[in-house]
Amino acid sequence: MKKLAISLYAVVTVALLGWAWYQAIYVAPDEQTMHEAQRIFYYHVPSAMVAFLFFAISLAGSVGYLAFRRNRAEWAQISDAWALAGAEVGVVFCTVVLITGPLWGRRAWGIWWTWDARLTTTLVLWLIYVSYLLLRRFAAGPQVQTLAAVLGIFGALDVPIVYMSNRWWRTQHPAPVFGGGSDSGVKDPAMLAAFGWNVLAWLAWGLLILALRYHVERHHQKIAAQDAQDALDA
Amino acid sequence: MDQRAILDHQFVIAAYAITWAIQLGYLAWLGLKWRAQQRNARPKGRATR
Repeated sequence: MKKLAISLYAVVTVALLGWAWYQAIYVAPDEQTMHEAQRIFYYHVPSAMVAFLFFAISLAGSVGYLAFRRNRAEWAQISDAWALAGAEVGVVFCTVVLITGPLWGRRAWGIWWTWDARLTTTLVLWLIYVSYLLLRRFAAGPQVQTLAAVLGIFGALDVPIVYMSNRWWRTQHPAPVFGGGSDSGVKDPAMLAAFGWNVLAWLAWGLLILALRYHVERHHQKIAAQDAQDALDA
Repeated sequence: MDQRAILDHQFVIAAYAITWAIQLGYLAWLGLKWRAQQRNARPKGRATR
């Protein structure tokens, strides 16, 4: 029953991604100033939104791990698995943002990169979470999960700075899609629909791979716990 | 199609293709990690039985 539900969810997600792609490429009209290059927006912005959400999940997992590590070992391990899954899948989406952004920037601004506040804070966010993953991959010892949790919390502090950067400072980056004043936002209903479908589709895809990553990590934790128990028994 | 439109089109294709390559590449890596984990766990399971 569980396998059927997961398979059904995966099929719906793939169908959603196909439909969202069709909306972005064939249904949404060309934007007046950036023309066809603006269609990168339909992958770039939803990826950023999903990355932010997953870094928030990583933050919750990290806080949970620190809260439960002394008195509820099982809850602490579950929290840690969510923290790792959120950070890793968040990095995947953030990588998409950092590659599609310069592609769009090259056509819209004529340059691949500029050290403005939005781009720089996004790069810093990505670097912090890549450091988090490297720490988890290469460090050893009983304190790794605690150190990673602290780093995960500090990394998440950059998310609101990235989000607010083009409000707080003058940037080359366009105004926020939501809440950026009267000049911002998607005005055309067909563009708004294509954007909405892509947010939904990438969110569904992100949740699917997040759940898979969580499952793999929990399995890894159980094997490690079993190995430790076997070593004690021997 | 003028030169600008052709370039715009190529950049959109590149952005979409790279996005899919990253996402599917990660999914494949996750699948391989899962399979390796299953393979390593099985012999131990048999030994403890």
